[in-house]
Amino acid sequence: MSFDDWYRQDRLPHIYCAGCGNGTIINCTLAAIDQMGWKKEETVFVSGIGCSSRAPGYILTDSLHTTHGRALAFATGVKMANRDLHVVVFTGDGDLAAIGGNHFIHACRRNIDITVVCMNNQIYGMTGGQGSPTTPKGCLSSTTPYGCTETPFDLCELATAAGANYVARWTSYHVKELEKAVKVGLETPGFSFIEALVQCPTAFGRRNKFRQVADHVEYLKVHSLLRAKRDRMLEAGEHIPEDMFVVGELTRRNRPAMGVKP
Amino acid sequence: MKLAIDETRCKGCNLCTKVCPYKIFKEGKRPNRKGIVVPELDRPERCTNCRLRNLYGRQLCGVCQLTCPDQAIHWTEEEPYEPHKVAIEY
Ligand SMILES: Cc1ncc(C[n+]2csc(CCOP(=O)(O)OP(=O)(O)O)c2C)c(N)n1
Ligand code: SF4
Ligand code: SF4
Ligand code: SF4
Ligand SMILES: [Mg+2]
Repeated sequence: MSFDDWYRQDRLPHIYCAGCGNGTIINCTLAAIDQMGWKKEETVFVSGIGCSSRAPGYILTDSLHTTHGRALAFATGVKMANRDLHVVVFTGDGDLAAIGGNHFIHACRRNIDITVVCMNNQIYGMTGGQGSPTTPKGCLSSTTPYGCTETPFDLCELATAAGANYVARWTSYHVKELEKAVKVGLETPGFSFIEALVQCPTAFGRRNKFRQVADHVEYLKVHSLLRAKRDRMLEAGEHIPEDMFVVGELTRRNRPAMGVKP
Repeated sequence: MKLAIDETRCKGCNLCTKVCPYKIFKEGKRPNRKGIVVPELDRPERCTNCRLRNLYGRQLCGVCQLTCPDQAIHWTEEEPYEPHKVAIEY
């Protein structure tokens, strides 16, 4: 078995733009799921609205493609109705942190036993590139034509503060690490949140001087700061550049969880 | 095993040319029937998975396949090697 066995081959090639990172993240997630030995009938994918949220439509299992921002509300319902199901959510930064922000913090607080993979392209890709709550300072989007001036959300810190049992961040460059992180997330009882920073060449890259897809992936690679290195830098009192983001396993704990299979 | 790019799926993003440690994928030169410049393979028999997959009985490396956003990279089984009698003409 390989991750390819989970795809609806008749639906491929998918609708994503050339070089869109979403396809990479679906590969890694399915590769992790493939190793779990789960049956397709016992696995459910749930998503909201957005390019990222189209993912479940390309997967063979049952799925729910719901309304914008409500993936976690539907996923909570599925899990509480039948704890035997394995529930995995695909979501985007806009879907999860803007319109769905409230569902996000409460799903973390409840620590419900689902795994959430957020494809964070730092933009509203589907609707033409409006700024999202994770658009970095200074970046151009159709709603921030002079550069974004707002402070972005750190989704991983948010999930940790709200109570999630497992939190990790990787990028579309770190495919093997991402696959492993998703697998640990799937194995961990309670709410698991995996943030994957991805390139969106059409709505983000084009406006922000990433002429080639590989340039953006290179940017993600060189601006990743391994958690262990970040900790060492903090200990030594070194300055952490503002444009770096921490990658790795950020939280792993065993708080009381909801909806765990008895 | 034999490495191959599925031309019906590849969108020519060239991410595979970035991630392979052996630099087996090279940027293509000519657009195909769909107008997509599909990367070319440079001596794909060097690929770890091509060489050792059947020996180890599992997927090896596979970074290009995981990275390819369009699920275009795959391996096919090769015909077993058949010794040929080579006739040398003088
Ligand atoms: C209730 C509602 N409000 C707004 C929209 C319009 N809308 C569709 S997708 C989207 C943003 C998607 O952004 P994100 O979740 O980051 O997904 P991406 O396309 O970037 O993967 C918005 C605002 C909608 N479909 N429904
Ligand atoms: S708009 Fe962006 S996120 Fe949407 S498919 Fe295109 S590249 Fe991907
Ligand atoms: S990564 Fe995939 S889609 Fe992109 S050029 Fe290579 S084979 Fe084609
Ligand atoms: S499996 Fe590894 S070595 Fe083989 S072509 Fe892909 S990236 Fe290169
Ligand atoms: Mg987005």
